[in-house]
Amino acid sequence: MSETIRNEHLAQVSLPVQGMSCAACVAKVEKTLKTMTGVQEVHVNLLSGKAAVTYESNQAGVPQMVKMIQDIGYEVPEEEVLLTVRGMSCAACVAKVEKAVKGMPGVTSVVVNLPAESAKVKFYPGAVDKTRIKKEIQALGYEVSEKVTGQEALDREKEARQKEFRFQTRNMWIAWPLAMLVMIGMFRDMWIFPYFVPEFLGNVYVLWALTTPIAFIPGWQFFKHSWNGLKRGATDMNLLYATGIGAAYIIATINTFWPDAGFGGRGATFFESAALLTAFIVLGRFMEALTRGRTSEAIRNLMSLQAKTARVIRSGEEVEIAADEVKIGDIVVVRPGESIPVDGEVTEGYSAVDEAMITGESMPVEKRAGSQVTGATINKTGSFKFKATRVGSETALAQIIKMVEDAQASKAPIQKLADFVAGHFIAGVHILALIVFFFWFFIGYGAFFTPTSQFILSPYSLAEVGVFGFALLLSVTTLIISCPCALGLATPSAIMAGTGKGAENGILFKGADAVEASSKLNAVVFDKTGTLTKGEPSVTDVFATEGFDRDDILALAAVTEKPSEHPLGEAIVRGAKGEGLSVGDADDFEAIPGHGVRATYQGQIILLGNRRLMQQQNIDIGNLSEKMEQLEEEGKTAMLMAVDNKAAGIIAVADILKENAKVAVERLQQMGVQVAMITGDNQRTAEAIARQVGIKTVLAEVLPKDKAAEVIKLQEKGLNVAMVGDGINDAPALAQANVGIAIGSGTDVAKETGDIILIKDDIRDVVGAIEIGRATMRKIKQNLVWAFVYNITGIPLAAGILYPFTGFLVSPELASFFMAMSSVSVTINTLLLKRYQPSFRREQVKTSMPPVPQPQTAR
Amino acid sequence: MNDLESKAARQASVVYIALSLTITLIFLAITLVNGNAYTSVARVGGMIWVFILSMIVFMPIVIPVVKKRIMG
Repeated sequence: MSETIRNEHLAQVSLPVQGMSCAACVAKVEKTLKTMTGVQEVHVNLLSGKAAVTYESNQAGVPQMVKMIQDIGYEVPEEEVLLTVRGMSCAACVAKVEKAVKGMPGVTSVVVNLPAESAKVKFYPGAVDKTRIKKEIQALGYEVSEKVTGQEALDREKEARQKEFRFQTRNMWIAWPLAMLVMIGMFRDMWIFPYFVPEFLGNVYVLWALTTPIAFIPGWQFFKHSWNGLKRGATDMNLLYATGIGAAYIIATINTFWPDAGFGGRGATFFESAALLTAFIVLGRFMEALTRGRTSEAIRNLMSLQAKTARVIRSGEEVEIAADEVKIGDIVVVRPGESIPVDGEVTEGYSAVDEAMITGESMPVEKRAGSQVTGATINKTGSFKFKATRVGSETALAQIIKMVEDAQASKAPIQKLADFVAGHFIAGVHILALIVFFFWFFIGYGAFFTPTSQFILSPYSLAEVGVFGFALLLSVTTLIISCPCALGLATPSAIMAGTGKGAENGILFKGADAVEASSKLNAVVFDKTGTLTKGEPSVTDVFATEGFDRDDILALAAVTEKPSEHPLGEAIVRGAKGEGLSVGDADDFEAIPGHGVRATYQGQIILLGNRRLMQQQNIDIGNLSEKMEQLEEEGKTAMLMAVDNKAAGIIAVADILKENAKVAVERLQQMGVQVAMITGDNQRTAEAIARQVGIKTVLAEVLPKDKAAEVIKLQEKGLNVAMVGDGINDAPALAQANVGIAIGSGTDVAKETGDIILIKDDIRDVVGAIEIGRATMRKIKQNLVWAFVYNITGIPLAAGILYPFTGFLVSPELASFFMAMSSVSVTINTLLLKRYQPSFRREQVKTSMPPVPQPQTAR
Repeated sequence: MNDLESKAARQASVVYIALSLTITLIFLAITLVNGNAYTSVARVGGMIWVFILSMIVFMPIVIPVVKKRIMG
């Protein structure tokens, strides 16, 4: 921030302003800003496109200035930075970072993701900069750096995780052996311990000496982090731990060295509370370090598939270079078993390539000259050469990784509740701890305390505890049990797992909101052409009259249509060639507009066209009329054929359904989703296609620009609508739908609009996307219920609600055990999502046993 | 930390310390008037604990409010 202080409230910002073209614009911006209360000086520079504003910071703010500039028709461009923030451990840390960064003048939005350890910040450059944002986060006690991508990111992430893991492992090695000794020492006089536990271990000074390193070596991290936050007005769960450990340790120390001070004396040293409390919290941190990040394994696996080297032809020689040095246009050589380094087009050779890591397709795909290959896929059988077309951040893999990372850095709407609760939780818990302390100090102790009181699952007696020690114990236990760590992990960890699972199956969610919205869908609208159908007409029926052969009819039709450039003609030629028929050249050709075509071939006069053509030429079509009507009812375009003035047969052409369209529609209907089809075709053709696929709602004769309006009509009926279509042509309808699903985009995912991008041209992935969305939301709900139930039941128990009836209390160490287990159980529950497979994938796995991979035709 | 931030931090500390002391004094007053006999250790220990908790409650509330008022 270019902020110069002239007096205590005077500040200066330099805001970029876009859209100014002349001195009049400059004057307009200056004049507008000067009318703001608190603005002292404004200097707008047309050439640099910046407005330097000096203002009273207590009267004016950057958001108001930006709004005023926007109101008069100019733009203040925002910048975005994605940061890696390490050291956050709960939802309160998230709230703390968000609150601190959001409070900076010039920052417009902050989204912090706990499991992804990321912060996406949007800000106005000139009002604030990346360095200052990073400094602000660092000041809270977290490590921060700009997010990097690719192998470097993988290495850095691995290194950081290993560092955290080593740190928490060290803490475990210190905390647990010492805590065990403290516990044995504390209970030395009980059960069978006197027979084998040496007497000195029960000595309070020895116990104090054993507890002190636990509180100050593994426990130091909590004091350090909480103080860093507290001095900047932010609190997190470290503060709960620090107050808990601190209070238990101080009481134990006072009762050891000054037993007559009135804190309960030697009988209430609670060393095991301070020691085990720290040990359990460290256990929780250790488990988090062990499990965190596993939810994004799909992306890490993808990253690790990137080839490190590539063999390219340079000056006629094959040389091995680093994969990131490959340039567009380089000819790359790939041998069997090698990973393809970048995206490109095959120039020579033949092979089958395993693309499962990108598309989720389990069968290897055949590649020959002209086929597209994708970086990170694996060459299986042959060798081939290809020309690099996309390298570096442009490759499909880099785009997919970026898209998934962006999705994982976003927040699902359901998380707002958890964030709100966690953000206000710490202060709330401390207020509660105060109330608990007041209650047990002034009322509870006098009314309910009995010297036989015990902790749950502990033989330890509280007989010698005084009013202060008793109220303090309950107050500390309340603080410990209230940590909202499970609440913080519940949503983002499941979103990470869900988006990762999608990426594994070639389904890319663009954001957490897309995952949540897809789970709520109850209507899916499919665009017809290119989505439900293959998008190009094919020959579907060939009918020959008596005296003519089917193949001859198809071959003659192809000869007749060969010179025409009509799509139907091309379909016939393609169909004949596809059946291995020879398609010769017509001797002469004539197009008869509105009727059909006429050609001569080897002395035969061939007519191909509609009924009018046959009527015009006085050709009796006999019973072909009935057959033709039947084909037209099926939505096909039927053409009559006559050879030498005699009706010879019918050729029907239609845009055919994709192979999995019917099963996908059936599955959606079984899931309770209404399915509709939208098309520009006439009603009869549309209905015929819809019948074949099992769709009852048909929106026919809809122009591309009106598709969005049809989506609105469905939404007005209260439906949550997904629009499935071409990500480029159907963009308005995809944008209007609750979820836009762009299908069959191939690997250039960045160009696609839509909330969900399906890499494969397989309509069953629409089902897969909804299933993954629903599975993820189920997991989030389970996690949230668990986290809320834990806190809602744990807090009253810790506050001593059962004590008046049972005489039992929850000890601080038991509270810390519950707290650690709550976040571990949420993480483990989320990890179960890794085993989830969409229904079609499960069926594929079942049917492909034993697997006999056969190459498929290239896309 | 620039001058504005230092000023905000100073002003905020006056406010949250004053509020925490008020709560602590309320605690002390109750120990004196509620009829129970408390040891001085219980009384002082309680005051320290109440003061710490009150500071923790008030610091995150007061600091951003004062910071916003001073720094805009």
